[in-house]
Amino acid sequence: MVIKGSKPPSGEGCKRRLSTKKLLRVMKLTAIILLSACLAASAKGKSQGITLSVKDAPLEKVFIEIKKQTGYSFVYYKDDLAKGQKVTIQVSNARIEEVLNLLFKDKPITYSIFEHNIVLKQKTESPNEQTTDEPKPIPITGKVFDENGNPLVGATVTVRGTQTAVKTDANGQFTIEANAGQTLVITYVGYVDEQIKVGNETTLTVTLEVDVKSLLAVTVNKGYYTEKMRNTVGNVATVKAADIEKQPVSNPLLALQGRVPGLVITQSSGVPGSGVTVRIQGRNSINGGNDPLYIIDGVPYPSQMLATTTGGNNFTGILGTSGGSNLAPGGNGNPLSFIGVENIESIEILKDADATSIYGSRGANGVILITTKKGSVKGKNKIELNFQQGWGKVTRTIEMMNTRQYLDMRYEALRNDGININSISNSTSFRYYDLNVWDTTRYTDWQKVLTGGTAHYTDANGSVSGGNANLNYRIGGGYHRETTVFPGNFNNKRGVVNFIINNQSLDRRFSLQLSASYINNNNALPQADFISTALQLPPTAPPIYNGDGSLNWAPNSIDRSSWTNPLSQLNNKYENTTENLISSFIVGYKITPDLELKTQLGYNRLQTDEFSGLSILSRTPESRATFNRTAQYTSSTIKFYLAEPQLNYTRTFGKVKIDVLLGTTIQQNQNKGEVINTSGHPTDDLLRDIRSATSFNIPSSIDAVYKYNALFSRINLNWSNKYILNLTGRRDGSSRFGPENRFQNFGSIGGAWIFTEENLFKKQSILSFGKLRASYGTTGNDQIGDYTYLDLYNSVSNPVPYQNWSSISIDNISNPYLQWEETRKLSVGFSLGLINDRILADITFNRNRSSNQLISYSLPYTTGFTSVYLNLPATIQNISWEFSLNSMNVKQKSFTWETNFNLTVPKNKLVSFPSIEQTTLAGSLVIGQPLSITKAFHYLGVDPVTGLYQFLDQNGNPTTSPTFNDRTVLVNTDPKLYGGFQNSFRFKRVEISTFFQFTKQKQSTLSLLKFGYANPPGSASLNQPAFVLDRWQKLGDDAEIQKYSTAFSAYFPWSNASQSDAGIVDASFIRLKNITASYDLKTDFLKKSHIEKLRLFVEGQNLLTISKFKGIDPENQSSSSLPPLRVLAVGLNVQF
Amino acid sequence: MFSKKSICTLYILLILISIFSCKKLVEVDPPGTQITSNNVYNNDATAIAVMNGLYSKLSSTGFVGGSPLISNISLWAGLSADEFILWSGTTITALLYYQNALNASAHGSEFWMSTYPLIYVCNAAIEGLQKSSSLNSTVKQQLLGEAKFMRAYFYFYLVNLYGDVPLALTTDYTVNSLLSRYAKSAVYDQIRSDLSDAKDLLANGYVKNDAVTLYPTASAERVRPSKAAASALLSRVELYNNNWANAESEATAVISNTSLYDTVPLNNVFLKNSKEAIWQLQPVLSEITNTQEGFFFNLTIAPIGVNDFHSVHLSQSVLNSFEAGDKRKVNGNWINVFTDGSGTYYYPYKYKVGSIGAPVTEYPMFLRLGELYLIRSEAKARQNNLPGAIADLDVIRKRAGLPLIANSIPGISQTALLNAILHERQVELFSESGHRWLDLKRTGNVDAVMATATSLKGGTWQSYQQLYPVPVDDLLKNPNLTQNAGY
Repeated sequence: MVIKGSKPPSGEGCKRRLSTKKLLRVMKLTAIILLSACLAASAKGKSQGITLSVKDAPLEKVFIEIKKQTGYSFVYYKDDLAKGQKVTIQVSNARIEEVLNLLFKDKPITYSIFEHNIVLKQKTESPNEQTTDEPKPIPITGKVFDENGNPLVGATVTVRGTQTAVKTDANGQFTIEANAGQTLVITYVGYVDEQIKVGNETTLTVTLEVDVKSLLAVTVNKGYYTEKMRNTVGNVATVKAADIEKQPVSNPLLALQGRVPGLVITQSSGVPGSGVTVRIQGRNSINGGNDPLYIIDGVPYPSQMLATTTGGNNFTGILGTSGGSNLAPGGNGNPLSFIGVENIESIEILKDADATSIYGSRGANGVILITTKKGSVKGKNKIELNFQQGWGKVTRTIEMMNTRQYLDMRYEALRNDGININSISNSTSFRYYDLNVWDTTRYTDWQKVLTGGTAHYTDANGSVSGGNANLNYRIGGGYHRETTVFPGNFNNKRGVVNFIINNQSLDRRFSLQLSASYINNNNALPQADFISTALQLPPTAPPIYNGDGSLNWAPNSIDRSSWTNPLSQLNNKYENTTENLISSFIVGYKITPDLELKTQLGYNRLQTDEFSGLSILSRTPESRATFNRTAQYTSSTIKFYLAEPQLNYTRTFGKVKIDVLLGTTIQQNQNKGEVINTSGHPTDDLLRDIRSATSFNIPSSIDAVYKYNALFSRINLNWSNKYILNLTGRRDGSSRFGPENRFQNFGSIGGAWIFTEENLFKKQSILSFGKLRASYGTTGNDQIGDYTYLDLYNSVSNPVPYQNWSSISIDNISNPYLQWEETRKLSVGFSLGLINDRILADITFNRNRSSNQLISYSLPYTTGFTSVYLNLPATIQNISWEFSLNSMNVKQKSFTWETNFNLTVPKNKLVSFPSIEQTTLAGSLVIGQPLSITKAFHYLGVDPVTGLYQFLDQNGNPTTSPTFNDRTVLVNTDPKLYGGFQNSFRFKRVEISTFFQFTKQKQSTLSLLKFGYANPPGSASLNQPAFVLDRWQKLGDDAEIQKYSTAFSAYFPWSNASQSDAGIVDASFIRLKNITASYDLKTDFLKKSHIEKLRLFVEGQNLLTISKFKGIDPENQSSSSLPPLRVLAVGLNVQF
Repeated sequence: MFSKKSICTLYILLILISIFSCKKLVEVDPPGTQITSNNVYNNDATAIAVMNGLYSKLSSTGFVGGSPLISNISLWAGLSADEFILWSGTTITALLYYQNALNASAHGSEFWMSTYPLIYVCNAAIEGLQKSSSLNSTVKQQLLGEAKFMRAYFYFYLVNLYGDVPLALTTDYTVNSLLSRYAKSAVYDQIRSDLSDAKDLLANGYVKNDAVTLYPTASAERVRPSKAAASALLSRVELYNNNWANAESEATAVISNTSLYDTVPLNNVFLKNSKEAIWQLQPVLSEITNTQEGFFFNLTIAPIGVNDFHSVHLSQSVLNSFEAGDKRKVNGNWINVFTDGSGTYYYPYKYKVGSIGAPVTEYPMFLRLGELYLIRSEAKARQNNLPGAIADLDVIRKRAGLPLIANSIPGISQTALLNAILHERQVELFSESGHRWLDLKRTGNVDAVMATATSLKGGTWQSYQQLYPVPVDDLLKNPNLTQNAGY
């Protein structure tokens, strides 16, 4: 392959110049290398010995012959070759190197081999004759890269056993003299030493592998750039695949729980695919969105499912929400559950201004960057297979009343109300079916029947990866299936395929990356969660099945069903099918070694189709005659388009290294969706057939576009790895705001001082690393939903149009002056490394202040709406102290013990809100208090005289019927502290790790739980927790629970009690979140079968929870949705 | 071709272009599925659709499992009064209305919460229509009339259910969120003014969906407010305000329009497009769904059991109030009976189609001629025009198959006649539009009647309960608002 055109003039001065010809040549060269790389793959099979016999032949001819025989292509500049003239050579079955050595023996040409390309270069100097016979030091040049292909500056290259040592320059390059047969050792702090035997190659490319044990060397992805943890100015945390993979979870977010300071993740339900709420450093917005920005391999990803109906919730609520807000409501479920966990290399959590300002208006709530696995650069194909089988159970149950206790409660309530059960006419009274229709001797543990099942969890995935530093790939696939703890055959299935290809030209100037992942998820669930039914059904409730196996409706004497059989629900269907495509294309080109152009193009698509159908069989037999089958079909699509051209300039001036980044983002999101309600399907079998319906209605349809455009930049100055200054800035425009207020500037300044680089500390032996860092800057929040600045009318769909004409309705009050919400973040951190970084400690103080609050300002009904979106001058402050400690307690060859600990102490406060009293928020917010504050009644216990709950009124007197103004107590439900604690042990080939998560908190919402479940104890035929037994029975009793009663007079004190300070209970917990034990099998058999690694493991999730909380789970604190499950899984990992 | 420099320049240019063209890059069209308010009132079709949206909303509101709304006031106000017996195993909301045990923090403010948003639509329509210059003038006039009529209709119920209420007349939330309560009389002044405007603006007949063309009299769909509807509501308003002469003249304006309106046999009254109808709504829920009233009141199973569905039947006091021989009480006329092992239940049968699947023959009725005869009768009696009053009353009695006052007690005293008229209202208008609840309060009989009725319903009557409570939410958000006494 010959490159036409003249050879570029040499010399330092020219190199810097941007010459047309050179650029063109480089481009051509790159293209040719690319092409030949592809061609080479097909010629690979031919690499056997070379047999040549030519006399005075032109070199070109020889090249063609060699290519024919071996598949090796030659790449060179024609001018270089002109000096080569003709050759004579005779070899038989020779190695390529031998042939090449002979060919160029006395020619001013050197060669180097990259894959199947032979690159020829004119010898730059050294006209001396080379003798191949006796070993003479030869100059070896090379370049050292880190695992991401970035040059490593300052790596040490030594010739083993000699004093010869050099350091790599600003471009990672080195030149050293060594003899063939000697070994070069390349070392760099935080990386595994690399040893290379000097052979015939004189040009080396070395990629160092990260020493995973050294956290400071970890490369942190900061979105538009990467950095060593050691040098980061910002507050960033990274969680690597090793920790993510250990956990049997299907949503990668759940693998982060408790592991990152400042990050709170709450799972709304234990059903697969359920909602997950993520908060980084607290709530910054009063009621705008508080979701972080998710970026997968550079391309934004939705934080919420599309809310296809007004109000946010789709037909069924079983999946739970992901903490969407009024302004930016989300549908049920969580989009991140459609990312295969096994495909993730690392997740970075960016928290402070230094890290997030570059994301401008989207960074106020932090950024979560997900990096997927890349191909291997090791040159060898690697096949990895994983298989996992697990079993999940509900973590805790509530001790409910047994039959005797239950019946006593019911009779006592009737006695207290003076109701004589015998005077109630026969068996037709619904309220007393439990006493006069049902068999009162029965006992059923409904928690066991309805939520006591075992969820099965199966996960299988595999990948093939290979390549080298120039071209590498990874192709993966996986299957995941999870069932529920409910009765019935429900499951969530997911299939994933993904690939990534990386290419770099020989000179590393041109680079390409193409990646895509496709996921198909099929979730079939019951229409409603069985948790509340399990807690409410009296223990005496009838058997589920009749003798003949049919559902038992327990008819009373006049053939009316006396209960709604809980399993009748299983006849209703809910299915959620999601297809997810994540794709990205990155092309980069280094114009000069210092200046790189890069463009990323991305496209993500999330398409969800839901179906739910109400079967006639879910109804009592007597109501079926009038029952109309209904079904709902929902489809929604979220699309993201991204184009991000960037310019990156890196150069070292003396001791200072400068990184400059300039780029622009052009992003567009498109949300489309509609809901179709139908009714009148003639049979259950046709519920799926939309045509069989007699009536159609489209309650909602969405077609929204969000456009976003920005210019961003970063300047990083690094003075000898000692002083680091980082400046970032972004100018943002978003279509979510009115035309007047679309643009805004954001920026940050951050600095770090690695004081252990000062001479003073260099002598220290204990203190191996010390860094002080601080950053300050602004970020914004545009999570307010699309078009909120427009006055919009929506179509109303009714099966029969009014007067056969369309109808429209007004759904919001608009505010064309909406602006960004701005968060100013201050972060100061102090990192220490002791004993060669075996102990690393970090303390960070963060203060985030959000102002110009975008508020869904609630309005009285008299305005026609409940809220309007406004910017109000409220300032909200989130202060947090984050502590983390990593310690390698024991580091021996056969035994290591490592401990990680993190702790966050957050404090949220409404700092100021001028003229709050003139706003509608005066009733719910208090200056100086957290946003989560709740005004509650002060609880005085049970009145020994009346047996009813009492409260303190505003005048200081006890009352059983407080009014709104009697809410005199402020209750703070924010977590006080939270964190995690991990210990990892490795003993020879056994690895064990345990991870505890802890939170000190009160229950997050006022709740009735303390006072009985869902209804006043005894008031209806509903079971109650056993703790309500401590009740008032007679005059003078001092009891926890008020008297049992069916009357209204008892209902209101009970519901008020839930609005009192006693309604808040301690929900602190310590949870053994994860235990993993694994064993690396090593046998001769494995060696023979080319199995590199066979790892057997056992994993447990949510194994043990220690909490005083009276409900089912202190984490999701819900009494109506399934808690996170306790999962135990076994599996194996095989690598070839 | 390209030089390194030129590529670099191109790149920087690209970035710069994107900054300067930022505006373009973040400009979006209005959403494909929505229309901006500016466009709505520039086009006849969309302007009509706004009012259609309002009617559809009223018409699509169900009774079952729903919440109290103006369009199902016949149920909820009936529960508050003495018209129904409610099955005790139903929702707490229904039970609280039924036992007159509304509690400001729990229930009772539903009508307030659901009506002001409808008033907003009227206000927005009035503002939008008045501003618009591109609408057909006849369409604009009709729609303006409809919006004013609807606003008056909503305020009529608000003022009767809650007493003094904030008078929101614009779309400006800064004004509306700080409104204080207006005296009842001021609210009535506004209602009167809206209705008198509506009378001038609305078509003298029933318009088709283009808001211009009149239906032929015989087949008029009476589903958009007309001049007569405005008069009929105004007549009711004047009656409530003791403006007897006006009440009489407004009623006469409708009654005398005999080409459009006439009394029809009992079982034809509630049919769609009946000549009795002054304003009905068109059912929109499905081709085979008749009225919500028919669906809810008609019992196919006993009003007991697990569902809220079919939880109501007629109270003894309604049944007892019929005179002997009243055809309205005959089973299959305006009352019907359901019997099963658990008992015998009488239910309202004005709307006869309850099941889904039957062709639509009935429309829900909001204003009808029968009421106007009774209004005029009362107004005349108050003005001491006893013969005139008797004549109007006898129109209703005659249809019910009762002896005419003119024959049986021609010398009836004014007081006795007024009592007879009120009694006639109870039996003629039972389970309709909350008439009984409003009449009890209007005539000052509420304490006397409800003391007994509430205790029969399992509650305890206290006089303050005749007004429903203002929502606590609004009290918190609007410092100028006060709660009704007693709550």
